[in-house]
Amino acid sequence: MAAVMEQSTMPAAPEVRIRNLSVAYQTSTGLFDAVHKLDLDIPKASITAVIGESGSGKSTLAMAMLNSVTFPGSIRSGTIEYAGRGDIVTFDRERLRRFRGEHAAMVFQASQDTLNPLKRVGAQLLDLARSHGVKDKRKVLREARELAERMALPADRTLTSYQHELSGGMRQRVSIIFALALHPQIVLLDEPTTALDVLSQSHVLEIIREIHRERGLTTLLITHDMGVVAELSDRVVVMYAGRIAEDAPSRELLRRPLHPYSQALIRAIPRLTGPLDDAQALPGAPLELRQIPKAGCVFRDRCPARMPVCDTGTPELREVAPGRRVACHLEVTP
Amino acid sequence: MNYLKFLAKKLLGGLAMVYVVVTFTFFLIRLMPGNPVLARLTSLLQSGVPYQAAKQQVAAMYGFMPHGPLIVQYFDYLGQLLHLNLGLSIAYAGVSVTHILMSAAPWTIFMVLLGLFFSFILGVAAGVVAAVWRNSIIGQSSTFLATLLHGIPQFMLALAFLYLFTTEWRLFPFGAPYDAAIHPGFSPAFVGSVAYHAILPILAYAISGYGGWTLAMKSSVISVLGDEYILAAELRGLTRGIRIRYVARNAFLPLFTSLTLSLGFMFGGAIVIETIFDYPGLGYLLNNSIGAQDYPVMQGAFLIITAAVIVSNILADLLYSLIDPRIRRA
Repeated sequence: MAAVMEQSTMPAAPEVRIRNLSVAYQTSTGLFDAVHKLDLDIPKASITAVIGESGSGKSTLAMAMLNSVTFPGSIRSGTIEYAGRGDIVTFDRERLRRFRGEHAAMVFQASQDTLNPLKRVGAQLLDLARSHGVKDKRKVLREARELAERMALPADRTLTSYQHELSGGMRQRVSIIFALALHPQIVLLDEPTTALDVLSQSHVLEIIREIHRERGLTTLLITHDMGVVAELSDRVVVMYAGRIAEDAPSRELLRRPLHPYSQALIRAIPRLTGPLDDAQALPGAPLELRQIPKAGCVFRDRCPARMPVCDTGTPELREVAPGRRVACHLEVTP
Repeated sequence: MNYLKFLAKKLLGGLAMVYVVVTFTFFLIRLMPGNPVLARLTSLLQSGVPYQAAKQQVAAMYGFMPHGPLIVQYFDYLGQLLHLNLGLSIAYAGVSVTHILMSAAPWTIFMVLLGLFFSFILGVAAGVVAAVWRNSIIGQSSTFLATLLHGIPQFMLALAFLYLFTTEWRLFPFGAPYDAAIHPGFSPAFVGSVAYHAILPILAYAISGYGGWTLAMKSSVISVLGDEYILAAELRGLTRGIRIRYVARNAFLPLFTSLTLSLGFMFGGAIVIETIFDYPGLGYLLNNSIGAQDYPVMQGAFLIITAAVIVSNILADLLYSLIDPRIRRA
């Protein structure tokens, strides 16, 4: 967590700068924002976690960051600028293709089948290398083998396997190998441990942390697990209904969450020790896209600290301390 | 070792199936009303031929007398079958069924194979277009055309072709597989004549199959396009060419089985098309033999169809394991 300290003392230029980003989904009853006017800086060489319930827009945000929001969704407005590369929203098809995998790569959910079932893992790695014009393809394979071994996979067997011959945990590690194969600077992890058992989970997280440090990666971690946030991230962005509720260094947020939603998320974590009743579920359900109110605070219906102003005034995301932002009408002191 | 065991099991199963089908056809065919041999015998008797002489004459013509109980005839037939003897035709008295089938088979194989080839290649390509560009005018017209052609019954299409291209506009010949004035052989004139006469049936066969392949491939491609690994391939920045190859190969799998089965059914001939165009293939033969109550030819034709479908099915199983690694299990 040394990165946290460095960051707060001397903020570097962000690796990714997102401004006024809105991603909307077209439905039969109209256009609805899954991500709404979002501003976010992702610092270089840090692990930034994005946490929220299902439907909070966190996965949509990750997809938008690769400009790959699929129909019926689309980026409605905003810019996503990568340091030295420009705004990905304006990239043409070929530039976008080269950017994906080469500069920014995604690790998919463990439950997903992200490999062509008819081709061996090694052959697909070669497809990846060929697609990005890599000259030394054997180096790609060699590094993939090294990564596999580090992740406790039998290297040769893995590369000559088809997807169906690998277990869920193995596939997840293979997905990490694919993401790292071309040495991207930015890695987006979309719930990388959701479908794994606890032991595989901690192993995968350990590997992610190690490689992140070694390569000085800028990592974005999408999760709904506060435990993963605590274990891995330098910084955490709490999302609700497509908006940022709170944005803070992880340790500070875990110690003292300021937004009622962050507080509720932390209260909901069951502890291994102590009475189970200590964990309190957040009442109510996350909003569906079309239920999101146009005016006022989007969280007000589930908020224990609701005030009259919450019905009419939309809370601005304001900086309450250096590197710490909260969108709430409450007077908060960090 | 395991592979041989697998193959032996498949072949044994296939033989059992052939036996069951042979038995069924034998009895089913004889359930049809009328008896051509007895009819012949009666007509000989009526024309004043003595019974013994008439009987001998009929026996000589057809090779058997249908007098014994059905079960005896059945075992007699099976016994002959074991010696690969399919018997003699009734309609073409005295000609062996094997000979008749062998002379009809090349026409069917030539015509149907080409028709199937064109309809499959074009249909699959059109299916990819219809799926990948399904929101554009190109994809939608491809789907529209396929649905339209798929909806037209084969016999109507064939009749329309026949009427338009041989009668209304005399562009193509009709009624024979080649020009009777040309001596059969491997001369350019003969080959050209065969091709010229085959164009209409091939076209009719190809067009009537095209729509089905297009629609099948379209739905298969669409389902593959929604698969996670295709999105993953896009997010890894794989080139469009590589991605299309991923999609095509995966989408092709379900069609492969239908294709091999169609190849098997090819030996049944294209009954409708061959009959309408008077094309002397297996389908034409089968249709005529039913009309003439030519039991041995019918049995022979059904036997060929059965064997071909079963063999192609086994072949499909074997080949499938080559193209889909998930099936490749001992």
